[in-house]
Amino acid sequence: MAMTATAAPGERVARRRNAAFAWTLPALVLILLFFVTPVLGLMLRSVTEPTLGLQNYAELIGTGTYARIFANTFLVAGVVTALSVVIGYPVAWALAVLPRPWGQLVFAIIILSMWTNLLARTYAWMVLLQRTGVINKTLIGLGVIDKPLALVNNLVGVTIGMTYIMLPFVILPLVGVIRAIDPAILRAGALCGANSWQCFTRILLPLSLPGVAAGALMVFVMALGYYVTPALLGGTANMMLAEMVAQFVQSLVNWGMGGAAAFVLLVVTLALYAAQLRFFGTRRIG
Amino acid sequence: MLLDFDRLGPWKWVLITITTLVCLFLMLPIVFIAALSFGSSQWLIFPPPAWTTRWYGELFADPRWLQSAFTSLKIAAIVTVLSVGIGFLAALALNRGTFAGREVLRALFLTPMILPVVVLAVALYAFFLKIGLNGTMLGFIIAHLLIALPFSIISIGSALDGFDKSIEDAAILCGASPWEARMRVTVPAISHGLFGAAVFSFLASWDEVVLAIFMASPTLQTLPVKIWATLRQDLTPVIAAASTLLILFTMLLMIIAALVRRGSKQGTKP
Repeated sequence: MAMTATAAPGERVARRRNAAFAWTLPALVLILLFFVTPVLGLMLRSVTEPTLGLQNYAELIGTGTYARIFANTFLVAGVVTALSVVIGYPVAWALAVLPRPWGQLVFAIIILSMWTNLLARTYAWMVLLQRTGVINKTLIGLGVIDKPLALVNNLVGVTIGMTYIMLPFVILPLVGVIRAIDPAILRAGALCGANSWQCFTRILLPLSLPGVAAGALMVFVMALGYYVTPALLGGTANMMLAEMVAQFVQSLVNWGMGGAAAFVLLVVTLALYAAQLRFFGTRRIG
Repeated sequence: MLLDFDRLGPWKWVLITITTLVCLFLMLPIVFIAALSFGSSQWLIFPPPAWTTRWYGELFADPRWLQSAFTSLKIAAIVTVLSVGIGFLAALALNRGTFAGREVLRALFLTPMILPVVVLAVALYAFFLKIGLNGTMLGFIIAHLLIALPFSIISIGSALDGFDKSIEDAAILCGASPWEARMRVTVPAISHGLFGAAVFSFLASWDEVVLAIFMASPTLQTLPVKIWATLRQDLTPVIAAASTLLILFTMLLMIIAALVRRGSKQGTKP
């Protein structure tokens, strides 16, 4: 007590600020004990089980079945990202300019779909897309097709279900980016004789591109590691990476391979986020 | 001009058409599930031949559904309290502290949110099997707390960023102790951030599937695990009934959140 009383005010503030570190301790202990330790433990098992070495990784890379799973995962994540951006961009643009009540309605619909339980949404798509489902029946009724399409238990179903889930993650951040563009730049473009298509391709699109890229990367990374939707809409024949991790551990009880697959997923995810931080300078994630 | 709705020219109708279609796409599964839950067809034929509340009856007649919903509620409530408390302390430290490595700590705290959940699930599953926490309430709470905490730290952190610390200092100058000032001045001022943290933490736990699948035991399972297990067997309309109730619950939360946001906005305006 006596020491604090005699310390200079500046010193006292500094000490109090460093004492702030202690407030992070509950969170820090939780993360170190139940996040860092288990993840490191799993990584360790990937190079020690069944024997010490990198044979699990060699098997993962060298086996055709696993290579197809990797290819599937990247293909679906890529297509889902492309679809989300192409469909999401006009919606974000509309949201940035729509008059208030309409804008709020669209916002509410997006938030509602985003907050609706993931399993409820996936279940709905399972029913909608099945052979005798509403989508097939409607298409047959309209005369577009004469035999029902296989829309579920394959990668088409996964792509539809995942695009549905990912759309809000492209739209919402993009609205802010488009709103932040100064309309005066577009007016200047028009005054200089640019037509409306040129205004879009030469001004609006380039200025909003950082937002597009950031959203696309986030969706791509999320899609790479997605488990629930691919497992339910893809069927067993069309596995994706996250399912493979779960399969190794749950059905095959092969911790070495499971750990290796998880580590690959982890490294790809963190590398892509690091790239995002480096190229777009997003200070905060999320 | 392209950023003025009334002067969009030909773009206007393109944007309106696409946005309408996307809104229909987004609403389709939600409306469809709700309609289906009242349909009489066991095989989920749509439009249903007749309307019934039979599936809701079956849902409430099966004690396992109610039990798993109660388990989910209990876990989510405990996770919410812990996440807001621990998150408040951590956000305060990251916001106010001057110690080295704050940015590293922030990144570490947010990592569980960006990592694929399946990686965390498998790692925790292995760890919990070793220390005997698998299939326990505590295991569920820890697992869900890990993914809820980043939401709290972000939500409370941004509220603290917008709070003028000199108000707290003024309270201390007027004789309040530092913690008294924090609890009685800062906490009320950032209540919208705390509320946001609570809502996101609750939903993070309540809707969580992947961790829960790995943590669950035959005797202890959450509502999403029950839905997942049922879904893997068959597409019974009982799931439509359960999903509809979940959607209503989400809408209720959204409305409450919107009302609180409106209330706090009015409160802060002079």
